[in-house]
Amino acid sequence: MAETAQQLSTQHLLGIKDLTTEDIHLILETASTFKDVINRPIKKVPSLRDITIANVFFENSTRTRLSFELAEKRLSADVINFAASSSSVSKGETLIDTVNNILAMKVDMIVMRHPYPGAGVFLSKHVNAQIINAGDGAHEHPTQALLDAFSISEQYGDVAGKKVAIIGDILHSRVALSNILCLQKLGAEVLVCGPTTLIPKYIASLGVKIEHDLLKALRWCDVANMLRIQLERQDINYFPSLREYSMLYGLNKTILESLDKKITIMHPGPINRGVEITSDVADSKHSIILDQVQNGVAVRMAVLYLLAGKRI
Amino acid sequence: MDKILIKSATLAFPGHEKDGQMIDVLIYRGVVDTIGDKNTLNDEEAVIIDAHGHYLAPGFFDLNANLGEPGLETKETIMSGCGAAAAGGFTGLAMQPNTEPALHSRGEIAMVVNIAKDNLVSLHPVGAISKERSGNDLAELYDMKLAGAIAFSNGNKSIQQAGLMSRALLYCKGFNALVMSYAEDASIANHAKMNEGVVSTYLGMKGNPSLAEELMVARDLSLASYHETAIHFSTISTKGSVSLIREAKKKGIAVTCDVAAHHLVLTDQEVAGFDSNYKVSPPLRTADDVHALKEGLLDGTIDAVVSQHTPHEVEFKRVEFEIAKNGMIGLQTVLPLLLKAELPISLIVQKIAISPRKILNLPMPAFNVGAAANLVLFNPKESWTFDERTNHSKSNNSPFYGTTLTGRVSLVINNNKVYSNLN
Repeated sequence: MAETAQQLSTQHLLGIKDLTTEDIHLILETASTFKDVINRPIKKVPSLRDITIANVFFENSTRTRLSFELAEKRLSADVINFAASSSSVSKGETLIDTVNNILAMKVDMIVMRHPYPGAGVFLSKHVNAQIINAGDGAHEHPTQALLDAFSISEQYGDVAGKKVAIIGDILHSRVALSNILCLQKLGAEVLVCGPTTLIPKYIASLGVKIEHDLLKALRWCDVANMLRIQLERQDINYFPSLREYSMLYGLNKTILESLDKKITIMHPGPINRGVEITSDVADSKHSIILDQVQNGVAVRMAVLYLLAGKRI
Repeated sequence: MDKILIKSATLAFPGHEKDGQMIDVLIYRGVVDTIGDKNTLNDEEAVIIDAHGHYLAPGFFDLNANLGEPGLETKETIMSGCGAAAAGGFTGLAMQPNTEPALHSRGEIAMVVNIAKDNLVSLHPVGAISKERSGNDLAELYDMKLAGAIAFSNGNKSIQQAGLMSRALLYCKGFNALVMSYAEDASIANHAKMNEGVVSTYLGMKGNPSLAEELMVARDLSLASYHETAIHFSTISTKGSVSLIREAKKKGIAVTCDVAAHHLVLTDQEVAGFDSNYKVSPPLRTADDVHALKEGLLDGTIDAVVSQHTPHEVEFKRVEFEIAKNGMIGLQTVLPLLLKAELPISLIVQKIAISPRKILNLPMPAFNVGAAANLVLFNPKESWTFDERTNHSKSNNSPFYGTTLTGRVSLVINNNKVYSNLN
């Protein structure tokens, strides 16, 4: 890794909203270097030796937690994992106490997934550690947005000027918000598409286009990012059935082939096959879903590496 | 302090012949003894207060305070709450039934009345409309009224069943009791923790729309109109509520309403840092709403301003915004916030001393020789820091805690008792 004078403007990664455009470019450039690293026979570098990172997950996650853990291990950090259901924590020990107990064991960085929006921001104000937000409620999921931007620029050479449609459950999605903010900072145009009940009333204030017709959204875009229906975050019924959702917003081969251009299909995973996307689309050459997963490790390595350079 | 001589205070008693003039007044054993023009009275035995720059007004009255007793004494006791009230210039409080158990029967009402009976602050419990504030059936409202309940509300749990609210209004009409409505349709609010708007969208937070409040205001106005009875709305917060109530007043519906002081100076922008001290219910709204609320105060649509004093231990606030409890302490910050909102002093006195008592049909403090002194002396220009030395509440959950506020209460007299905060 070439020595560079460039540094992030922030100590934590709480959300895309705290990053400057320069920060984002720096992360993406660094990720590109790390992507080369992880494709070499020896995938490990010593950059974070002697740094201990705790992955603290208050909500289920497979891919994000594995991705962070791999990124940490490939940077030679020491890693510990903590998982708890949010319900047991909200009844007992407070978030600050839980994290301070982990920090007392000489941990340097906290990667946290939490069901409540702003949990990372809150934590960063009350504990003495660097915080990396691995998803907080429907607020932000910054590393997902960064890896999505990385994947788009890999496809097209640049994110600027691209048209990206984010399709699905926008209301309950942290991926949507972080993606909107990140893509806009990089100069892309963003459209959101989904059932009227799953689009926040004031979403236009973020400067995005709104479309409720899947076909029109697909015709407009270069990239379609298909979001998962977050049934676990829906306390009431926002639409009658998955069947009906799929009829309106499910992406299948027939629709895709009716377009007069090739678009790129993304999905943050996990996929509900047959709901928002059919298997033949998910597994087609249009889809870069597995590239996204690989890029996730490189982007998280970049974030951890750059933040480690900001340690006090 | 048997004898107190206040010299050169500006009188702020709406309707009084000397309103707006500088006066001297001698108070002897809790009674207005002598009133004179400025700098004319002398008394060698009296404690003399130079009140230049100070206003002398009727003691403030708060229609919406939560005092935590019974059951929540670690948040606030009746005595600590009354202490905070006096320090904020209040000589009377309507205590909301958000206690555990709720103030839902003669027993709780009598207990509150009894604990507070010798206090400087005249405390009036508000009885719960339904048992446990469950919103299912009527509590024994008449019995509570006999025990001292000044009005009835369901506290911070809005009554969702129109039928129950309808019966509460009609039943209370039978013995001239006022029903206070906290308006929020739970199925629309949907457990959201902040106002729905541009800010909630940017924060990825579910929004509690103005609609949730306005639907309930509209419903309860229809009920009050149908039963030809009075209704009071507590802590309205939206532009739409102001206009619904303005129209209802024009139509002759006997409606009154209040707004919490913090809703006049804070907006949902404050939530951007996820500081739970800004988590209140109803949620902080937009600048547009704040503007409409102020207009409502000026044109008389909104009758009163309240503290909505809601104490919580730090354990309930130093947590993620989502699970933090709603509310902030407010008894000591009402006056500074209204001054910060740039409301004229005559209007402030109207909204926090005169109107609240009118709404509850309580006697108005009089300012004439021989009258029991029910007074507050304050300096609207003097600054003070709200911190552990000045806070009288058992809790400190306020975004203003640790800040410097302008508008300081120096002296409060009521029930032949004196609270002094003189320099």
